[in-house]
Amino acid sequence: MTDSPDSVPTTRPYAAAVGQYSSRPEPATLADILERVLDKGIIIAGDIRVNLLDIELLTIKIRLLIVSVDKAQEMGIDWWRNDPMLSTSAQGLVEENQQLRERLEALESGESGESGTSTESSTEEGKQERASD
Amino acid sequence: MTESARYMYAISRNLDAEALAGCHGLAQGQLDVVQHRRLSAVVSTVDLSDYGEEALRRNLERLEWLEETARCHEAVVRTVADHGPVAPLRLATICLDDDAVRKRLDEWYFALDQILDRVAGRAEWSVKAIAPVEPERVPAESAVSAPAVSGAAYLERKRQQTQSKTEAADRAMAAAEKMHSALVDVSVASRRLPSQDPRLSGHQGSMVLNGAYLVDVDGQGRFEETYRSLEGGHPELLLDVRGPWPPYSFAMLEQG
Repeated sequence: MTDSPDSVPTTRPYAAAVGQYSSRPEPATLADILERVLDKGIIIAGDIRVNLLDIELLTIKIRLLIVSVDKAQEMGIDWWRNDPMLSTSAQGLVEENQQLRERLEALESGESGESGTSTESSTEEGKQERASD
Repeated sequence: MTESARYMYAISRNLDAEALAGCHGLAQGQLDVVQHRRLSAVVSTVDLSDYGEEALRRNLERLEWLEETARCHEAVVRTVADHGPVAPLRLATICLDDDAVRKRLDEWYFALDQILDRVAGRAEWSVKAIAPVEPERVPAESAVSAPAVSGAAYLERKRQQTQSKTEAADRAMAAAEKMHSALVDVSVASRRLPSQDPRLSGHQGSMVLNGAYLVDVDGQGRFEETYRSLEGGHPELLLDVRGPWPPYSFAMLEQG
């Protein structure tokens, strides 16, 4: 728009930038990535519906998972202190996740007073019961 | 028996599928480019048994699955960004076939074209400022365990502690504002994002700035100089600068 030396045509070649993204193996945190791939970018409805409520539910679940991580800390499990980037490369982390999820599921189904095959609604009840504790 | 669909990662312009050689999509799927007029959508085939509505609802709840998918999505977007302007799509944008993908490109053609103009030759930088947790500053006299502290003195000490905490928080916020405006001066667009949950990001302290800045590739040097000088000028804050990112925060459709 202006004729300042800084202004450049938007159609200029991109060559200067080639390789700049993938060549830097930047250990982005999971929080950084989720912040962008879930909340930002182009939102176009595809043929497969993923509604925003699902995403909200997801963040609630992440929080729930992390609540149980706090409990895990009391038990001396503190992998995230060693790996604050929460990187997938740490196989141990994946295993911890698995264990924590199992604990979470156990807590949820246990609290709701239902056994084994807990349906979506009984899980909801379980949460509400705990919330009112 | 298993049905498949096309997972969309990003939109670019006049992108050659050759450029994506060596990069894989989800489940090691081959990346393809669906062209429509000037637009190129980067897609791969996914199984509906994993990416159908029902399966997605289940899978998105699994942090491990989500992380793997998000990191793969992000890696593809980055590769596309190496070769041209990129408008990343939100995670899990899935069409049944290439015709359906073309239909989306046609439907959103002008908006997408504009977004690509806006982000071409530019990259997103993330700058976060964190005020570390202040150690509890205990007044000197209380170290010598004063046997009889009056109630009033105790309250006064509490009040002072609270006040000094508040002042520190105010100072950190003010510093964050200054940093943000200095960074705005060296970027073409900016966005303040909500502070991240420390339990997910791993930071300790309070995140007083989580800014996204769209920076001209040519102006990157100036941007880097600016945040380095900010870092030097504000030793009380920890600066976490990451970039270049594909322009996620600046490739958003204005939803009508």
